[in-house]
Amino acid sequence: MPSANALRLQIERTLESRFPAALSPMPQTVRETAAAGIAEIDSLLSGGFPVGAISEITGPATSGRTCLALAFCAERTSEGKVCAWIDVNDALDPESAAANGVQLRRLLWVRCKSKAERANGKPWSRLEQALRAVDLLLQAGGFAAIVLDMGDIVVEHGSRIPLATWYRFRQAAEQSRCCLVVLGGAAYAQSSAEIVLECAPREARGQTVLQGYAFDVQLKRQRAVSANASINRSAMGAMRKPAASTPAASTWTAPNAWATGATA
Amino acid sequence: MSHELYACLYAREFPLQALLRLRPELRGNPVAVLSGHPPLEMICSMNRAARLRGVALGMTRVEAEAIQGLRLLCRSIECEIAAREVLLECAANFSPRIEVTGGETWCTCLLDIAGTERLFGPPAEVAHRMREALAGVGFRASVAVSANFHAALLKAGASGGVTVIAEGQEAAALENLPLDALNLPEMQAETLAIWGIRSLGELAALPAVELIARLGQDGKRWRDIASGTLPHQFQPVEPQFSLREFCEFESAVEQVDSLLFVAARMIDSLATRAAGHALSLALLSITLRLEGGKSHQLTLRPALPSTDRKFLLKLLQIELAAHPPQAAIVALTIAAEAGRAGTVQLGLFLPQLPEPSRLDVTLARLKALVGEDRVGSPVLEDARSADAFHMEAFALGAPGHAMTDRRPRIALRRLRPPHPVRVFCTDQKPVAFHDGHQSYSIAVAYGPWRTSGCWWAAGDWDRDEWDVLITQEQRAHLLVNDRSQNRWQLEAVYD
Repeated sequence: MPSANALRLQIERTLESRFPAALSPMPQTVRETAAAGIAEIDSLLSGGFPVGAISEITGPATSGRTCLALAFCAERTSEGKVCAWIDVNDALDPESAAANGVQLRRLLWVRCKSKAERANGKPWSRLEQALRAVDLLLQAGGFAAIVLDMGDIVVEHGSRIPLATWYRFRQAAEQSRCCLVVLGGAAYAQSSAEIVLECAPREARGQTVLQGYAFDVQLKRQRAVSANASINRSAMGAMRKPAASTPAASTWTAPNAWATGATA
Repeated sequence: MSHELYACLYAREFPLQALLRLRPELRGNPVAVLSGHPPLEMICSMNRAARLRGVALGMTRVEAEAIQGLRLLCRSIECEIAAREVLLECAANFSPRIEVTGGETWCTCLLDIAGTERLFGPPAEVAHRMREALAGVGFRASVAVSANFHAALLKAGASGGVTVIAEGQEAAALENLPLDALNLPEMQAETLAIWGIRSLGELAALPAVELIARLGQDGKRWRDIASGTLPHQFQPVEPQFSLREFCEFESAVEQVDSLLFVAARMIDSLATRAAGHALSLALLSITLRLEGGKSHQLTLRPALPSTDRKFLLKLLQIELAAHPPQAAIVALTIAAEAGRAGTVQLGLFLPQLPEPSRLDVTLARLKALVGEDRVGSPVLEDARSADAFHMEAFALGAPGHAMTDRRPRIALRRLRPPHPVRVFCTDQKPVAFHDGHQSYSIAVAYGPWRTSGCWWAAGDWDRDEWDVLITQEQRAHLLVNDRSQNRWQLEAVYD
């Protein structure tokens, strides 16, 4: 009786003209990761955000998206690298960024203008300005992380961004080894996103003072295997097919800046 | 043996050369320069092609315009000053001792090159190198080398190319030159012509005593010059290193592309000159003289001093796109400040950072896209008022402060400007608010946190802050009651 391997080879050879390597699993991309700066998120993502890829952080307001992105920027700037924050609605609070540990001198903040603020009458909306800015920064290279903050835009507007744009960003991020983090109300980058995190508020903490918030984070999608996960897997032995996994989730808390006596 | 050795750089038709230096495309065409005020303009300088077409010095504009294919340019004294500086600077690369002479239509630099043999080789080689260097900055000049100052000057003015006069052979080298080369006063020139003296050789052959008896000490001086024996008290000038280029357009330029075409050559020239001193361009001040007498100023300040023409030109292009001139451009001046070229120590383990020159271009593009004041790094102000920060230019290598405690804190998302809301209170505590579209009931309100300050100045504030949690959606807002104006505003959302 032929062995399973011999059978697999025979089937693959027969189908070779139509489906090359039909029964062999595709080689998985192993991505370098950059620590997110929050232990729970690092453990959820097996090391952190993927380098040279698009990561999406989605969720409603008060779901910890901004806090998570700031923690990531703080981690990157503390390594001596530079980050950029493309702010579609000019919503970044520099005081909060400093409280989270972001070294502001290593943060390039691009504040998009509204139509009313534009004096020279250029025809780009805030979102278009932001997309152009991301394009320019990805082409320039050298930024360890670029945060595209679309947290306050209407989801319908974000969904209108062509997939070709996200695909271009993915390619550029990969070439410049930049972590492109997209903050938004929903996942916009579709298949171009390497990971999608869905954030949600869990509960507020505090009796007389708002001391902090607990947030839920769910890993909705992860395309490639992170370097750490790959090492763990190889330690367990080569698996031909990864076991079906349910979406991973985690909970983390963020105290208020003054609640723990931290200073900016 | 004499220890003197002089090299003379002689640039003929200097008004024309100064204009064509930045417009090399015109060099092959017949071009002449008009000087004077209309309608009394006359030809003062021309190139060989124009001379072959019949153009002569002193022709009026009307006469010159009758010649087909002749390109007429107006003389620009500012251009000539800038060109003279370039010429002097080029000469200074060969010797620090330079004496400058010049006439109406020519410019001469005399260099004391004694002792430079070890640096540049024998005199003939020095002369060729000088000529090549001048060609590199857009000048055509003849070069003569001699141990006698006046012999070098006369020979360079009378012959083209490179001439080297061996020591002791000055008289023989000058003997065939016409007497006009001495620029004698009219009366003495006539006297010598009556005597039948036509060349310098014939003048040098006259007996000295008899010549002095008839023409005085000037006669002796001319005779010594003609024989190449008159000594000279060298008066060197100190060439000042100033990076400045000027170009005046024949007709007002309206298109930026045409302007950039000329600007590229000017930047190239400035970069070459700076590189000659092992320097780079740290700052470029561009002045556009506009029609109507106004001027338009632009300043380019790259993050690192650079001599990369393409990069500087790109910066200029972006700056012009962001701040276009309001009228057509009549003249362009680019002045530069030199700086030490940036040195970057590369290392395998250094963090990945943007390339400074590319970053400059990117920042300029971003500023053109969203506005000058909306790109940069935020800097917190030493104040207790809300949202107190200002923007500073983003710079690489800025020192960052190390935070010991880097735990995540709940962040604010500001609404700029704050959104006015109607708030309903019970027992002086907000219980609901309406933002103009929807009503929100408040589940928990933390506060009030009262702050005030700057009561002695215009920017005073006096406000109560409330952290409120919305019942319907699990959202936390920062509501502010501006006590001085008695109004409520939604200032930020916790995220």
